[in-house]
Amino acid sequence: MTQNTSYAQFENGPGLIATFHHAQKAPIILRRQPHTEKGLSSSLGDNLPEPENYGELEQLMFSCLQSGDDKSALLCIEQLSSRFGVFDAKVAGLRGLFEEATAESEPSLEECLQKYDLAISENPVNLPILKRRIALLNSLSRPMEAISNLNKLLEAVPTDAEAWCELAYLYRSQGMSPQAVYCLEEALLIVPYAWNIHALLGETLFSSALLSDLNESCQLLERSIRYFCRSVELCTDYLRGFYGLLMATSLLGEKRLQNHSKDHLSPQRSSSWTSTNFTLDELTLFARKRLDDIVRHRSSHYQLWKGDQGDLIAAKELLRGIDSS
Amino acid sequence: MALQGVEQTILRDPALFDPNRHPPPLRHRPHEQPPKPASTLAESRERLALIRGVNLRNNAHAVLSKESFEMRKTYLVSAYQSGAFLKNPDQRGQPPANPMTDPAGMEAMMGMMKGNMMMMIPQTLIMSWINAFFSGFVILKLPFPLTIRFKSMLQSGVMTRDLDVRWVSSLSWYFLNLFGLQSVFGFILGSDNAANHMAQQMSSMNPAAGINPFQPGQDPDKLYQSEAENLEVMEHFCILDGVPERVLRHYADHKSY
Repeated sequence: MTQNTSYAQFENGPGLIATFHHAQKAPIILRRQPHTEKGLSSSLGDNLPEPENYGELEQLMFSCLQSGDDKSALLCIEQLSSRFGVFDAKVAGLRGLFEEATAESEPSLEECLQKYDLAISENPVNLPILKRRIALLNSLSRPMEAISNLNKLLEAVPTDAEAWCELAYLYRSQGMSPQAVYCLEEALLIVPYAWNIHALLGETLFSSALLSDLNESCQLLERSIRYFCRSVELCTDYLRGFYGLLMATSLLGEKRLQNHSKDHLSPQRSSSWTSTNFTLDELTLFARKRLDDIVRHRSSHYQLWKGDQGDLIAAKELLRGIDSS
Repeated sequence: MALQGVEQTILRDPALFDPNRHPPPLRHRPHEQPPKPASTLAESRERLALIRGVNLRNNAHAVLSKESFEMRKTYLVSAYQSGAFLKNPDQRGQPPANPMTDPAGMEAMMGMMKGNMMMMIPQTLIMSWINAFFSGFVILKLPFPLTIRFKSMLQSGVMTRDLDVRWVSSLSWYFLNLFGLQSVFGFILGSDNAANHMAQQMSSMNPAAGINPFQPGQDPDKLYQSEAENLEVMEHFCILDGVPERVLRHYADHKSY
């Protein structure tokens, strides 16, 4: 599910390299952990365990699993379960994740699925396990089953933004963009200031605009531009948002031209703001300039943005492509 | 008689002034009871569906276009009104059974009575214990003089006619704290502070599963109906309208990013 990857991403940037670096710190972090436990037992109450420590352990587990250090990952889980108990829902979910990740064949994955079914029959609102089960269904390439299960889960827990985002991913992977848009809107209703979800919504609208006919795609692009705008309004140097804004505005400009030449005779159906091409051109220019600035700034501060090189390269490519055309 | 102009002192054990002998201040850590997590998916839906409506009401203007908003509004309003989110839709609209008529209700009442008695008897015992334990000695001295009228308020339990009013007896101090501080806490910390026993159960939110918007005994259906009304009167506006111009203007003003 999203949460499994996203935790590591927020801390270290999305790069695999960063994940590896994090995983290499495993011995240090793991050695540090028991000390805090001892500190707790020696001076009762004064030295409360930091909740961040356990968050760190969880993240470390994800990094270790991603970089193949299964032993450290297992150690992380053991420390967590010695603190929270083996039957804690979240710890059970992590253990399930570990078993899935280290499973070597399809039958052992099926075995995991049966274990989850058993756990759910004991406690029908075991959210971590329910989510793991859905993720497992998806990785067993049964996406439709995963979608219907996730829908059932969301009916019971409609305030889980992560789950809505995951459903949006699943729908998008099946080419069902309108449904994905709906899900992302639901997620935004829960976290209305998440600029990444705004941008994601813009991207979803953009990609469905690519597949629809001219009139409809203009409308979709207008909507997508609004979400991209909102995203960069919330975060002033969000590279992905500016990237999307540039893509969407330039595509809309092209479509406008086509539309204009095509139905010269019939009066245009006017829509809200974008009936003026003026703003659109201005927006394109603006997005391009901002993107240029951000790319230049980040390239000169390589150390700071080491983890984000992928985004940076893509943005450079886009700028080069526009310059050459 | 107390001498005028001479400060009254009481001979105190010097050990009282030894800072090492004072017990460490007790941390006020009320043990919090998170709301009982839902035990079935239907129960969880009943709780969280209400929050979904509240979210829509609070955040729709930041996210939704007019069509998407109208769609959600219609859906939620009709679902609230038809009771589609209720745990047991069959029992909807039935008032809770009158406890006086049916025997099960009678039993519940007796149980409650027993519970009350269980509370009352220890209360009485504790009160008399406190009376015996706390009376008869002074605990602090106020740094300002007071008139003789305060004597009965500050020196209950110490039957000394001559003692300066500035000395406060422990029993008085106990009652002053017990009755006086509740509203002070409420004023300083806000109405839902940790020292307020009523608010205790509302604190400590366990994300997603643990939230329960319903107070015990509340009829979810009634809350749904009122939420439906709230949604129905909502006017749609969207901050996404005109966001391109706003962004352009904003960045034009702040070139320095």
